[in-house]
Amino acid sequence: MKKTILILVAAYLLSVPTFAQLQLDSLQANRLVTRTTMYGVGYTNIYDTYLSPVEYTGIEARISRETIRMTKLFDGNVSAQSFFQANLAYTENKSETNNTFSGLVNWNYALHYRFPINDNLKILAGGLGEVNGGFVYNLRNTNNPASAKAYINLGASGMIIYRMKFKNYPVTWRYQANIPFVGLMFSPNYGQSYYEIFSLKNHDNIVQFTSLHNQPSIRQMLSADLPIGSAKLRISYLWDVQQSKVNQLKTHTYSHIVMFGFVKELYKIPNKEREALPANLKAY
Amino acid sequence: MREIKYIGSFFLFIFVFLLTSCVEEEALDDTPQGNFDALWKIIDEQYCFLDYKEIDWNEIHTRYQKRITANMSEDGLFEVLADMLAELKDGHVNLYSASDIARYWKWYEDYPINFDENIQAKYLGTNYKIAAGIKYRILSNNIGYIYYESFSNGIGSGNLDEILQYLAICDGLIIDVRNNGGGTITNSTELAARFTNEKVLTGYIQHKTGTGHSDFSDPLPIYLEPSNRIRWQKKVVVLTNRQCFSATNDFVNSMSIFPLVTIMGDKTGGGSGLPFSSELPNGWSVRFSASPQLDANKNQIEWGINPDIKVDMTSEDAARNKDTMIEEAMAFLKK
Repeated sequence: MKKTILILVAAYLLSVPTFAQLQLDSLQANRLVTRTTMYGVGYTNIYDTYLSPVEYTGIEARISRETIRMTKLFDGNVSAQSFFQANLAYTENKSETNNTFSGLVNWNYALHYRFPINDNLKILAGGLGEVNGGFVYNLRNTNNPASAKAYINLGASGMIIYRMKFKNYPVTWRYQANIPFVGLMFSPNYGQSYYEIFSLKNHDNIVQFTSLHNQPSIRQMLSADLPIGSAKLRISYLWDVQQSKVNQLKTHTYSHIVMFGFVKELYKIPNKEREALPANLKAY
Repeated sequence: MREIKYIGSFFLFIFVFLLTSCVEEEALDDTPQGNFDALWKIIDEQYCFLDYKEIDWNEIHTRYQKRITANMSEDGLFEVLADMLAELKDGHVNLYSASDIARYWKWYEDYPINFDENIQAKYLGTNYKIAAGIKYRILSNNIGYIYYESFSNGIGSGNLDEILQYLAICDGLIIDVRNNGGGTITNSTELAARFTNEKVLTGYIQHKTGTGHSDFSDPLPIYLEPSNRIRWQKKVVVLTNRQCFSATNDFVNSMSIFPLVTIMGDKTGGGSGLPFSSELPNGWSVRFSASPQLDANKNQIEWGINPDIKVDMTSEDAARNKDTMIEEAMAFLKK
């Protein structure tokens, strides 16, 4: 009886791939996901002529979550980046007599083709699609107290990734710039109240086509990844320029934000392979 | 080598793009001259009645420029800017500093008051009912009386149901909006909707489409839908005086269309421009008419709406604690 059981167990163990074999035989680049959640604070300059001819400046808090991984497109040379960010700001006019609150949520998805220059330097270039929603709320105005932000874009994105060592300490630098090229934006007409748009339902001309001539925007990020023990700290500087000239209304938001977060490298194991893992490895 | 060239071109494009594409604040100095120019420009580009009121805003610039000096005091600058804004003759135009609010009130100050709270109190008594912003009671000859003091006070649908139900036994209804300087336009719509059984064109609205004095959108029709709650089916008199302004002017405009409603009293003060806000470099806030509303015949109602029956309070009646306008309204509704 004991002999039978031993034979059966040996046959089972030989038939099922071990976890070590999984690592070596089926490691695929498109399953390695780099995910970073970051938190930051900085300075912002808000301008919106629907509300005021004067700039408002102040503090902004921002969070972001980035996921980047290689895909199987073009022989595995294309990476996919999903970037979500949200910010809230509190600003004041120069005369210190009034304040505004503002906020924006942005999600963009980019595909980049990788051009490896050498072992340390990569250039990535590609396109992105993005969705934005937010507001600027002026605490003093009467029938034009707030400006709603809603716009979508397709654009171009470029990235430079450079690995270097400071006396054997590895640092990975990344510079990225995203520029929207075509899009659609919500904007009230020059002197139109939100009462007329939403209560009286006059929607003429409130969705405008945008491109470089009336939406010269750019989002830039410079980051450094610093290994600390078994973790990797990322420090980023974001220079976010959002501008528009639509329906004779001018807006800009210039933000300079420093962000901190930790980079996680995750490997996505498909269900089939996960089931083959020994039970003692799984918490769930 | 080729890739380095591409990287270089990429950075050059970014640099040139950033340098040449700024959407920036127009330079505005926080000096008496800078603040004067800023205020003049706001009105020049965004105020909606320059053409209708036949105001030569360039001539006004020349005339008031002479009063601006580099070392004038804040109070002095405020006085000059207030005087310049008074040329617009608009109750919706104000300049706000930390110490004062500039305003134009001649549209009622130069006319009979036609309202006396002490005399009104003789009609209301002490046991009148109060619902949201409305005081109401049944007068001695079975005429319902409503006093709505300000359209800034919101009225709920349930409140209006209770008021109209309570007054349903009355032979007629007086809606007194004298001295109601306006408020929220949606409250005006909410109340007026109780007095029509069908969808009615009540007026039009326009907005500025650009900085030119004549840059306006096509007039957009405004319709009033009847309320799906309790609606009044008997005769109504709306009492008005010169202080009826803004949202009250809008209310009187809507009510004047309904067949069972008679407007009685004095011409309203007007104020048909929906006001927007802006500010000067020194932080002073300015309010101004930005979006004009017209009546159902596309006529301007900025200067006010004439009553169907002109009635003024007389001093003889006042001496006897009688409100001539309430008395005339009661007699009219009893016919």
